[in-house]
Amino acid sequence: MRILGIETSCDDTCAAVTDGPRIRSNVISSQAAAHARYGGVVPEVASRHHLELINPVVGAALSEAGAELGDLDALAVTRGPGLIGALLVGVTTAKALAAATRKPLIGVDHLHGHVAANFLDPAPLEPPFLCLIASGGHTLLAGVARPEGFEVLGQTLDDAAGEALDKGARLLGLGYPGGPAIERLAADGDPDAFDFPVAMAREPGLDFSFSGLKTALLYATRRLDAGELERRRADLAASYQAAVVGQLVAKLERALEAGEWGAVALGGGVAANAALRERVGELCGERGLRLKLVPAELCTDNAAMIASAARFLEPAPYPEYLSWDAMA
Amino acid sequence: MALVRFDASESSTGQLSGRSRSVAAGQHPRHATDLLEELETVVQPVGGWPGIDLIAVGVGPGSFTGLRICVATARALAQALDKPVGPVGTLAALARGIGEQSEAEARPRLAVLDARRGEAFAALHGPNGEELWPPLVTSPAKLAERLATLPEAPLAAGSGALRFRDELEAAGAEVLPDAEPAHRVSARHVCVLAEAGRPARPESIEPIYLRPPDAELWLERDTH
Ligand SMILES: [Zn+2]
Repeated sequence: MRILGIETSCDDTCAAVTDGPRIRSNVISSQAAAHARYGGVVPEVASRHHLELINPVVGAALSEAGAELGDLDALAVTRGPGLIGALLVGVTTAKALAAATRKPLIGVDHLHGHVAANFLDPAPLEPPFLCLIASGGHTLLAGVARPEGFEVLGQTLDDAAGEALDKGARLLGLGYPGGPAIERLAADGDPDAFDFPVAMAREPGLDFSFSGLKTALLYATRRLDAGELERRRADLAASYQAAVVGQLVAKLERALEAGEWGAVALGGGVAANAALRERVGELCGERGLRLKLVPAELCTDNAAMIASAARFLEPAPYPEYLSWDAMA
Repeated sequence: MALVRFDASESSTGQLSGRSRSVAAGQHPRHATDLLEELETVVQPVGGWPGIDLIAVGVGPGSFTGLRICVATARALAQALDKPVGPVGTLAALARGIGEQSEAEARPRLAVLDARRGEAFAALHGPNGEELWPPLVTSPAKLAERLATLPEAPLAAGSGALRFRDELEAAGAEVLPDAEPAHRVSARHVCVLAEAGRPARPESIEPIYLRPPDAELWLERDTH
């Protein structure tokens, strides 16, 4: 089944063609540079860029796949969650492309997309598995029993893990996006130098919280004078990153204890973090579980994962989807 | 020639004019969900999308979201169907309508849309349709200052002309009576201008935003 996927929920304009688990093309046009000067994603700026980029990105995905719209079995698009104005560009575009060619359209939940990245080549993962999705926009533990969906076992009550890294990076005078910047600086630091709280550790359940951690970092930086702060930035970054990763791993471990899961998968931009990969790798090794790590371009937002999720969902035939809206 | 025209800035109704079949799907609260459905209905009489030669689209200025939905729809339809797009400035279409009024004669035409936040989108066109002031966003007071410098009193219309009638008339402009249809952007004028203009590739069509994103304003405030 050949599907054109479209994804515009945040700051990447994405289109991809998949055929079953095979990726025919996966085009991602990142707007990171456009948002860097604001220190974060600005919704109106994202919407404008999506509109500029969406048709060339769709065109590139089709031509790289050697396909035309007419060859497709269906189109798929992220309907939510995400930035409403950004989502609207993708949904509006997908609806019009599908309507003009009388193709069916499949609406996809963005988080189901992150889960479904694991169903793609190479080495597709079969349910049941536990999927930790952590990025600048989301942090959740998904229990995946069937490919058609997932169950939210735990999610963040405030900031997302990637957002916590971005905010920490800003406090340490690093650029945006903050995750990779903190990771680079942390490589030269001592993760035990500062005692940041691993929030929610004593709380029951599988939810996450990162806002207190950011406050703890703020206080730690205030206690140091300028010279001291400069000398200890790497230690601060390493300790802060360790606290973020520590909470993710603690909840993942608790979820593994509570259920029968054959494998663990990581998704979202934070899944690229080497410290997280290492800790989760150890956890899986101890328990004899398979750890599935998708390639970096399938971790961050992309449209191949949207097309992948769409494979398992009911397509809406023309003209059912004409009145679809985005769902923020 | 058949054209499909839609515009985000003003509500207007579908119509058939001369050789051109022009249709408008106007803006209303459920704009995002209804636009494509209305367009699909409207192209039925010409045998659906294959019977359309040019997709005319109003490119603003207007509300950011409304504009993007219209432009994204036009661009995607054109991409899927391999048809050209005719982008038309909303103020230019409005000015064309003003020019058809008997009062217009050889006077300049001032097209004014309500831009919300107490501001107006405006453009001034000459008697032959030539653009004298490109589209701008401004306060009614600043618009009135500019109008006072004109050698000839313009004839004005549009939602902004209605909203700021007092300010514009005090500055010498003549605003058409409230009930005049010329206050609304007409599908016919968008189609006429699209046909007269140069057809474009879908990916080259951009909205006329006039206003920067709010974040840009914060940055300016931070650095000044
Ligand atoms: Zn995501």
